[in-house]
Amino acid sequence: MKLSKLFLVALGSVSVLVSCTNDDNPAVDSNTNETNTYEKGVFILNEGSSGQGSVSFLGNDLSKFTQDVYGAVNPGDLFGQYVQSMFFDGDYAYIIAGGSNKINVVNRKTFKLVAKIESGLAKPRYGVVKDGKAYVVNANTYPNFGDPADAIGNTDDYVAVINLATNSVESTIPLNNTGNRIILENGKLYVSEPYKSTKILVVNPATNLLETPIVVGEGADTMEVNNGILYVLKSSYGNPSEIVKVDLLDSSMTNVVFPESLNDAKNLDIYENKIYYTVDTSVYAMDLTASSASTTAILSYTSSSAYGKMYGFAVNNGRIFIADGGDFTANSKAYVYSLNGTLQKQVAVGVGPNGFYFNN
Amino acid sequence: MTEKKLLFFILLLLGQFALAQNDSIIKLEELVISDVYLKDNQSQSIQVLNDSVISKNQPSLTHLLNYNSVIYFKEYGRGMLSSVSFRGTTASQTAVVWNGININSQLNGSTDFNTITANDFNSISVKAGGGSVIYGSGAIGGSIHLNNDLEFKKQFKNDFRASYGSFTTLGTNYRMVFSNAKWSSQIGFSYNGSENDYPYVGLYTWKGEQRKNTNGQYYTAGLNVSLGYKINAASSIKFYSQTSNTDRNVSLISESDTKTKYVNGFNRNLIEYVGVFNKLTASLKSAYITENYQYFGDISNDYFSFGKTECVITKFDFGYQVTKRLKLNGVADYNHTKGYGTGFGNNTRQIGSAALMAKWNVNPKWQNEFGIRKEITDNYESPLLFSAGSSYVFSKLYTLRANFSRNFRIPTFNDLYWEEGGNPDLKPESAYQAEIGNVFSFKKITLSQTMYYNKIKDLLRWVPGDGGIWTPQNTDRVQTYGTEVLLEWATNFNKHYFVLNSTYAYTISENEETKKQLFFVPYHKATASIAYSYKKLAANYQFLYNGFVYTRSDNDPNEIIDPYNVSNVGIDYDFGFFDSSKLGFQVLNVFNEKYESLENRPLPGRNFNIYINLKF
Repeated sequence: MKLSKLFLVALGSVSVLVSCTNDDNPAVDSNTNETNTYEKGVFILNEGSSGQGSVSFLGNDLSKFTQDVYGAVNPGDLFGQYVQSMFFDGDYAYIIAGGSNKINVVNRKTFKLVAKIESGLAKPRYGVVKDGKAYVVNANTYPNFGDPADAIGNTDDYVAVINLATNSVESTIPLNNTGNRIILENGKLYVSEPYKSTKILVVNPATNLLETPIVVGEGADTMEVNNGILYVLKSSYGNPSEIVKVDLLDSSMTNVVFPESLNDAKNLDIYENKIYYTVDTSVYAMDLTASSASTTAILSYTSSSAYGKMYGFAVNNGRIFIADGGDFTANSKAYVYSLNGTLQKQVAVGVGPNGFYFNN
Repeated sequence: MTEKKLLFFILLLLGQFALAQNDSIIKLEELVISDVYLKDNQSQSIQVLNDSVISKNQPSLTHLLNYNSVIYFKEYGRGMLSSVSFRGTTASQTAVVWNGININSQLNGSTDFNTITANDFNSISVKAGGGSVIYGSGAIGGSIHLNNDLEFKKQFKNDFRASYGSFTTLGTNYRMVFSNAKWSSQIGFSYNGSENDYPYVGLYTWKGEQRKNTNGQYYTAGLNVSLGYKINAASSIKFYSQTSNTDRNVSLISESDTKTKYVNGFNRNLIEYVGVFNKLTASLKSAYITENYQYFGDISNDYFSFGKTECVITKFDFGYQVTKRLKLNGVADYNHTKGYGTGFGNNTRQIGSAALMAKWNVNPKWQNEFGIRKEITDNYESPLLFSAGSSYVFSKLYTLRANFSRNFRIPTFNDLYWEEGGNPDLKPESAYQAEIGNVFSFKKITLSQTMYYNKIKDLLRWVPGDGGIWTPQNTDRVQTYGTEVLLEWATNFNKHYFVLNSTYAYTISENEETKKQLFFVPYHKATASIAYSYKKLAANYQFLYNGFVYTRSDNDPNEIIDPYNVSNVGIDYDFGFFDSSKLGFQVLNVFNEKYESLENRPLPGRNFNIYINLKF
């Protein structure tokens, strides 16, 4: 290793500074200790920017924290650019790096690399697992601004069907539309995309065919199913946000239109019969059955990020998790709050943290 | 470590060549620079790289300047997109000037130095420091001058070069000069291309396979024509034309990335009339310049985005010799640019400007230059630009130089019109700059040292705005300061001739708000080259040291590009057919350094190149 003296001095002085200020958390580990396990805690995905993405880990005790799990366990490996999302199956975790068309397969306890899925993917986004197969939405070509609706960028998205026994893409399901998020409910796949699509696509994994879509209008993004009802939060620029509730038995719909003060609501997450959502830097919750949205914030946090406010969000284990995108060129922060809005923990994660995945 | 290597190499060379004994001289050609203002500038540092230096380097302008100047480069892999930072500024704050005309892209404001072939020019000059009064937008950190100089004397010369190297790299270059007292013509073409599938030194995939550069193939082809005609003793007409096309795939970061491709080209034509009438000189220039690009987001289909600009420039320059020691120039120009493409619709920009320049030689030792310029356009509010410079020759040994200027960089078509997000209400970036230079000359040694301070405001940065749409804003303030040292030494021991050139830059480029060093600006950069010749044998050694750079805005010490040392060696022999017929051999990155200038964009390890160069 060739390091100039100056760099050593710079490195030395910075590490002194860091160790002086960061005295509140003696449990910050962690070396390349392979016996380390990353169970009972949450993985925080950092999408990265010009560099590779990374994954941070925070234990449920809120004291065990590793800033770069993958880099520590698998040094020198190219993790991938624009790490988008993650899903679990059995002993494994699958991390989707959308910018590099690959999925890293790791042991979910040790985070040791097991395999990579490197072909058959084109800007993969989100995935779910059913019966030993993963269904991963691929955005494929992106359209140019102003392209017509039937331009290739708006019609070539697909679901890759991955055999998890061989870690290879065995077939693809063309969507003839745009797709992004995907969830699995009662044997069916539901796909949303907020910018170009006006419907929730329905895919039958038994036949690998599209079924009649659910037309909800523009801006549908986050969604979750509870008791046979699909809850979709949609927000399109300049219009009021709304929650669309779809009864999956008969596709009947009702909706809750948000007041103007809650425009651009994001991050629907249902937890203990409450719908949580965010607007700007605030978190709100409403009852599943409520007919109007709450305008009283549970908490607000401070962010100087222009685009990355509430870049990642989750409610789980009796806590609210928030990731701030920061400036997308430097490491940013994640916060843990109690359900009533008390800050419990703040950690410095990687560049562009965008999501929380619980390994309980 | 490195010094040892260097010394070892010198000793090795000396040992070998001391055995031979004959006489030969390194030809240091005298240069006639077509750009008058460049020649007249005495108050700033101008480094001239002539034919003999250019021919010792690889064909890309990146390679030439990286190994011979203080300018810092970052490359997205060998032959890929290459951008500069001069005196700690951004890529669009270095102006590239072709025969006196600013040719930075109208679309993104900068120049990709890997699309320019250095051999297409007679001389290339590196001018450090502000020059917006004369060269316009972008001349903040400095400017690079590409010149085709015409000579009016009876001659017919041909220069042909062909090379073949590692990674299936092919290069050819041909230049013909045909002139007499009345006519002068130069015609040249060049082609450089490579499969570029070099292995990454010491890098393996997760399966343990050797990693290599994938999807990195490229070629650049160019055609140049320069013509001059002397109408009579007082007036002449010159015509310059250059066409180039670069077709590149884009190197992948990891093997599964989507393969993309970028094709770009330009066509430049310039006609100039110069007349001298007693105390009055008149120069009328007209230029027509086009640039275009196509970007294929996935090479497996033919879906692409594109952009194109067409630019007409008309320039009048009247000079008047008021007294023997005072000369005034008035310059007016008009620039009409039309741009269109997938990203920004169809837009036209018109800019007019007027400038006044004075050159005042108080006495033979003391020379002063002044300039003032104002642009008028309805696109943005343009600052009043100025420059004031002075040089004083204290003795044969020592010259003092000083320069103070205000410079700018105008918003580009992308900044103004990009859909979505373009911001029509932008101001130009503007900068005040002061510099002091010391030049020491002793026998055949020239040492020049310059200190500078640059205060740049309204730096354009794309930031997220309403609805998450990125849009450019005049946000940052930056101060850059530092020092540059250039050393030249030519000497001979009997019939052994040596030329040593060396540069060093220390650069601070600091965001005024955060007090952090801008990312991708090294604190230290140094270059050295030694050329040696003895009779018909010549050898050279090049060395580059690039200090570490931060890759993140918060100066995270764990997120850096490591410093690197790269050395190249070359040797050639003139077989003596025709005027000259050289066979040469080069070893690049001779110590097989593992290095990169951008994250996960490794550059090649040791590689080889063989060439012939015929002059007749």
